[in-house]
Amino acid sequence: MTIHTAFELKPLHPDFLISEDGLFVAGAAGSKLIYALDSKFRRMAFAAGAEERMFPTVIAEETLNRSEYFKSFPESASRVIEPSRKGQYFLSPAVCYHCYELLKNSVLSGETLITCCGKCFRADSADDSHLWEFTMREIVFFGSAAFIREQRDAWKQRIFDLSARLGLAAEVVAASDPFFGAETRGKRLLQQVKELKYELRVQRPSEKDMPLASFNLHERFFTSKFDITIKSGDTLHSGCVAFGLERWCMAMIEKHGVEKALRLVEKVDDLR
Amino acid sequence: MGSDATSASEPLHPAIESLLRFVNEGLLADSEKKVESDTPLFDEGWIDSLKILRLIAFLEVTAGKKIPDALIVMDRFRTIETIAKNFLNQ
Repeated sequence: MTIHTAFELKPLHPDFLISEDGLFVAGAAGSKLIYALDSKFRRMAFAAGAEERMFPTVIAEETLNRSEYFKSFPESASRVIEPSRKGQYFLSPAVCYHCYELLKNSVLSGETLITCCGKCFRADSADDSHLWEFTMREIVFFGSAAFIREQRDAWKQRIFDLSARLGLAAEVVAASDPFFGAETRGKRLLQQVKELKYELRVQRPSEKDMPLASFNLHERFFTSKFDITIKSGDTLHSGCVAFGLERWCMAMIEKHGVEKALRLVEKVDDLR
Repeated sequence: MGSDATSASEPLHPAIESLLRFVNEGLLADSEKKVESDTPLFDEGWIDSLKILRLIAFLEVTAGKKIPDALIVMDRFRTIETIAKNFLNQ
């Protein structure tokens, strides 16, 4: 008799395995593809003027509280129990929260772009496109409202073009799922109508479509909560672009198979 | 941005006029900001999360039917004229 456990990995594909609890293991080719994709996004971020930062996988409860994370996503964050530490921690549900904490109470000298990549954890659902643990590359922008919108829209176009060159049948659509600070219907609808969040979604062979990236305007939400300002005295807004690397890997392998996926990722010029 | 509905020579359609009055005298009663029928409603933060619900409630009562959340998007809510065209048959 075979005993199946929630953490047992099932081979969804020869190049990646996923457990019932939403854990992902990449094979040799899958790993190579994920690194190649991230390298592409990272180079694009540098070309746009971003500086890189590295952050811990855990995040302080205080940072998530300040971001009102628990109001927006009450069931999502995974708590870390470690009695020997002084602080209370969770596994990071997104990398960008670390950026706001890093810049807390600071005055930026000008428009700022930060890129970062890390493991993220969301426990509210688990299936083969909603992993509990996944890898997220982000580019976070700080500047005027016009600068943030310009950046967001440029990235939207840039990544859509990249997905087309990678042969993915993807489209950019306004998202309607709950976003930061959208704990009430009014806030959620206001975000929806203001198109604060767009997603690049790809059609999967046998299932519904899956988001590969999101393009987000935060308005003053994070800069006001973390008291981040800019030397010019202008009202400081923020925004971000986020890529789910395992989803890009799955989409590329499902569409092309591993060999062609790798060839395409290595061949496509990302700096156009 | 201008249209026949806002030109001085033609009166506003009653649906647009009534919606404009609701927005300026109701939603924005405590604000110095006033909008025209072709003013972008969501560019300057005049409409907050409570005001958008009041606006939807007004439209639902006026049109006599519920508006699904999926239809509350910029293409249908950009200006008073757009809203009237999409939800008040004007």
